[in-house]
Amino acid sequence: MTAAVSYAEPLTAPAHPVIALRGLGRRFGAVEALADVSFSIRAGEFVAIMGPSGSGKTTLLNILSCLDRPTDGEYLLDGIATANMDEAEQARIRREKIGLVFQQFHLIPYLTALENLMLAQHYHSVADAAAARAALERVGLGHRAGHRPSQLSGGEQQRVCIARALINEPALILADEPTGNLDEANERTIMDLFRELHREGRTIVLVTHNPAFGEVAERTIRLAHGRLEAER
Amino acid sequence: MASGNAMFARILWRSLTVRAGRVGVALAALAVGAAVVSALLSLYLDIKVKMGEELRAYGANFVVSPADPGARGIAVDTLSRAVAAVPGGKLVGASPALYGVVRLDQGNAVLAGVDFPGLRKVSPYWQVEGAWVGVAFDDRNAMVGRKLAEAMDIRLGDALDVLGESEKARVTVKGIVESGDAEDEQLFVSLPLAQRLLNLPGRADFALLSVAVEGGEADALAAAIDAAAPGVSAKPLRRISESDGVILDKIDGLMAVVAAFILVMTTLCVNATLTAMVAERAPEIGLAKALGADHRAIVAQFLGETALISVAGTLLGLLLGFGLAQVLGQAVFGAWVGFRALVVPVTLIAAMATALAAAIVPVRRAVRIAPARVLRGE
Repeated sequence: MTAAVSYAEPLTAPAHPVIALRGLGRRFGAVEALADVSFSIRAGEFVAIMGPSGSGKTTLLNILSCLDRPTDGEYLLDGIATANMDEAEQARIRREKIGLVFQQFHLIPYLTALENLMLAQHYHSVADAAAARAALERVGLGHRAGHRPSQLSGGEQQRVCIARALINEPALILADEPTGNLDEANERTIMDLFRELHREGRTIVLVTHNPAFGEVAERTIRLAHGRLEAER
Repeated sequence: MASGNAMFARILWRSLTVRAGRVGVALAALAVGAAVVSALLSLYLDIKVKMGEELRAYGANFVVSPADPGARGIAVDTLSRAVAAVPGGKLVGASPALYGVVRLDQGNAVLAGVDFPGLRKVSPYWQVEGAWVGVAFDDRNAMVGRKLAEAMDIRLGDALDVLGESEKARVTVKGIVESGDAEDEQLFVSLPLAQRLLNLPGRADFALLSVAVEGGEADALAAAIDAAAPGVSAKPLRRISESDGVILDKIDGLMAVVAAFILVMTTLCVNATLTAMVAERAPEIGLAKALGADHRAIVAQFLGETALISVAGTLLGLLLGFGLAQVLGQAVFGAWVGFRALVVPVTLIAAMATALAAAIVPVRRAVRIAPARVLRGE
């Protein structure tokens, strides 16, 4: 494990990898969910993490999104060592560095699409309706800003979720099965959106069962039994 | 650009209105708690005055008599000085009394010379058939005790010939008195007439006073009267003065117990509601944490909601409590209970403290929610 790294001063120059894992492991009692996982992801890469159920994808995603900590190894996010962060530091790095896209969308049902984006801004810094509206327009939902999640289709809800992930300009977008709850047409829309985001230079890591994403992503990392099985 | 406070207020408002049912339960519990506390507090602040009035209705609570127990009476001027020593706002009423035996047509009777207006204030509980003698110097009218009137077949309006030691007088019976005590066998005339009939000019045996004091003040007042009028001895009638304090203490204690019990019940009810709200909102809290909300933001959200519910519940409770205080005031004291500004901040503080105490455990649960688990529906 490296020495403690100052949060304010990233380890390396801007060319550093957004994600750097070295010998990462996660045990739950006697169960070893992840073991000796090492890889790096550079800024602007689009990486799909794939593998069968129980392979450790979710555990890895939780660690990458700073919702969990590894029990072994180290995880540098944007040059910052995160393995020993306390909950407050984890919360800070989540709001400043990470945009999360969920399979279940997780929009607040009593807030409009616009307000759901403003909520993320509120936790990050200050709510800005104009910026939130621009983010909705970016995903093609400017005309649905005043609608609540129950008034939106699954695909639209996922686009709101992606807009929310983008709203604070994070260094990394992490997506968990983003098309898992969508029909084929919406799946294509979301995949196209991720392609566009990639073309814009955003760093995207998504966990998926969907082989189509394996085709879209420029790199695929395969997990099996908690270990890195293959990389393409 | 929306300010942070505006967004915070918007989230609070939406999150409360979307759960109107649960919020309504917490608000109703706090309103009931605030209503009971504010009603009891209003009564508490009024009760000393009201209870004192009630207890003084049972008669005099001070007697001023000659310091020398062997002396026959005392100068009325001296008694007046003693009565004047009672602070103005405290004196409810006072009457000197001069006793002797006189002869009526049907036989002997105990005569009491009194100050009728003063006696009426000292003895508000007397049942009077006919009317009170209205002025202190009226020497043509008299009042007769019920038993004496029955024994001698005296009726309202009858003229009585009263024969004293050195003088005779004719008086008209204006009222028949029933007190349930020795007064029922006495004949009451004005003090100047009694002094003439008994040949004791300027004298009285003692004075009865009704004074608005609580237990502890009585001894100090007695000493002040003794000092102001040498030759008299002022004594509180302990039975009433002390029972006044004891009853008030018991009622204060009872109200405190009832208020504490209600606040504990309110706390439990609000706690149960907030706990259910936290469980229901676990995914929302998990999402907030995943988006980067720290513990302070989660605590601020829940305490903000709790504070809003408390303020609304308190305002409603104050209105209900004022009404409840009137019902209790009428039922117990037969009087309206006045509005006292102190009730508002005390009730607000009690309701806020109750709500915050109720929120401690639910807020801790909210803070401990693990976002990774709840967001996956575990």
